[in-house]
Amino acid sequence: MTQDTSRSATERVVRVGALSGAWIVARRELSASFDSWIAYVYTIAFVLLANSIFMNEFFLVGTVDMTGYFDLMPLLLPVFLPAITMRLWAEERKQRTIEMLLTMPIRPMQAVVGKYLAALALLVLMIAGSIPIVIMLATLGHPDMGLVLGGYLGVLAFGAQFLAIGMFLSSLVSDQIVAFVTTSVTVFLFVLLGDERVVVVLDGLAPDLSAGTWMYEHVSVMPHYEAFVRGVIGLPAVIYFVGSAALFLWLTAVALERDRA
Amino acid sequence: MIDVVDVTKRYGSVVAVEGVSFHVNAGDIVGFLGPNGAGKSTLLKMMCTWLPLTSGRITVAGHDVSSHPLEARRVLGYLTEHNAMYETMRVDQYLRFVGRLRGVSGPWLEERMAWVGEKCSIKDVFKKRVNQCSKGYRQRVGVAAALIHDPQVILLDEPTHGLDPLQVVAFREFIRELAEGRAILFSSHNLSEVASISDRLLVISHGRLLVDTSLQEMQDRAASHGHDLESEVLGLVRSSSPSAGEGSEPGS
Repeated sequence: MTQDTSRSATERVVRVGALSGAWIVARRELSASFDSWIAYVYTIAFVLLANSIFMNEFFLVGTVDMTGYFDLMPLLLPVFLPAITMRLWAEERKQRTIEMLLTMPIRPMQAVVGKYLAALALLVLMIAGSIPIVIMLATLGHPDMGLVLGGYLGVLAFGAQFLAIGMFLSSLVSDQIVAFVTTSVTVFLFVLLGDERVVVVLDGLAPDLSAGTWMYEHVSVMPHYEAFVRGVIGLPAVIYFVGSAALFLWLTAVALERDRA
Repeated sequence: MIDVVDVTKRYGSVVAVEGVSFHVNAGDIVGFLGPNGAGKSTLLKMMCTWLPLTSGRITVAGHDVSSHPLEARRVLGYLTEHNAMYETMRVDQYLRFVGRLRGVSGPWLEERMAWVGEKCSIKDVFKKRVNQCSKGYRQRVGVAAALIHDPQVILLDEPTHGLDPLQVVAFREFIRELAEGRAILFSSHNLSEVASISDRLLVISHGRLLVDTSLQEMQDRAASHGHDLESEVLGLVRSSSPSAGEGSEPGS
C-alpha cells in the first residue's frame, strides 16, 4: 500500500473549527467518564440521596412543590460536583496525556470548553434523576411549574459555576484527591458566605467594612440561587453566573498555557 | 522543512538547550542521539509547540512554532517521550479521536485508519483498549496516532522503545518508506539503531549540538581516528562533558 498521492495531506487536512474541536473533546470526555464507572456511581448515589431526602420531607410537610429539593442542592452539589471535575485536568497531567492533547491543532480554550460541556452533560443527567418527582407532584396536585422551572435553571446555573471553579482547580494539580478537596472546600465557601450567621460574624469582625454583607451580595452564590428558586430570574443573577463561569474557564486556559513554560 | 535557528531553552538558571541550529530537508531521516538529560526531548517538545523557546526560532514546513503554533501543529506528527494515551479508550476510537482533532474526517479518516492499521501492524488490536495492549503494540499505536493525518514533518521521541528486534527491523523499513517527501527526526539513546535507520546524525550533549553530519562522514571520521562509530561518538560526548568521563552515556 502506498501513501496517498492524489492530493497532498496539507490540502486535505481541514481546519478544526472552534466548536467542532470542543465537541470532539467533549465526546471523548463523556465517554471516558462512563468507561470508568465513576460517573455511574456518583450519578446513582446523587439521585438516590437527593430524591430520598426530598421524599422524606415531602411526606412530613405534605405540600406539592419542589422547594425542598432545591434547598438541598447547596449542600449536596459541593460534595458531588467535585467528583466530576477532579479528573478533568488532574488526570491528564498525571497520565501525561496533556502534552498529546495540547499539541493538537486546537486552542487550549477549545479543550477547556469541550471538557466543560461534558461536565455540564453529567450535571444535567444528575438533575434529570429528579424528573420522577415532578411527574409525581403533577399527578398529586398542581405544583407551580414556573417555580419548578426557575429552580431547575437555578441548579443548572449554580452547578455550571461550580463546575467551572472545579475545572480551574483541577488544572492546577496532578492529584485528583487534592482537586476534589480544594474544589469542595471552595464551593462550600461560596455557599457559606450566603449564610446569615456567617454574614453576622464577618460583619462583627469589622463593622466599618461590613465585609460579611459585601461578600453576601457580591461573592456568595446564595442570593442569586435563592432568587432563581423563588422564580425571580434577574439580570444581576444571570451576569453573576455567566460571568463567574466564563472567568474560571478563562483562568483554566491561562493556567494550561502557563504550565507549558 | 525543519529550521532550528540558534535555539536556547532555560529553566530559571538551568540551561537545557543552548544555541542549537540545524536544518532538516524533505526526505531526510535524522537521528537525534545523546545521553539522558542532553536536551533531545526538550528540543522535540519545542519543535512540536509544547514548550516555548527562551530564544531563537523554529519553523516547521514554513510555520513559526512560536507565532503560528496551530499551523505548525497541523503539518507535524509527534510521538511523545512517554507515549501517553487515553488508557481506557479502544485503539480505533483513540486513533479516530486524534484524526478528527487533526482535521481528518469522513472517507479520508477511514482511508487513513486502514493505512496506519496495515503499516503499523495494529489492526489486530483495533478493538482492544489501549491499556490491554502490550508495550510493543502501544508504541506502534503511538506511532500510528502521529501519522494518522499524513504529516509532512514527523517527530518521534524514542520510537523503538519497547519494540522487539524483529519489530525494530520492520520499523526501520517503514520509516525509510515513509521518508519520501517528508522530514523525519527521531531521538534515541541507541547508536546502532540510529545508525541503521537514519542518513544523518545529530549528537547533542549538555544542551549543545556537538555533531551534525551524515552517517557516512561520521563513519569515515571514526575510521580515520582508528575507532568504531560507537567509540567516536562516546569520545565526543565525553569530551564535551564539564566533568569529562562522568555521567551517563549513549548506549551501544
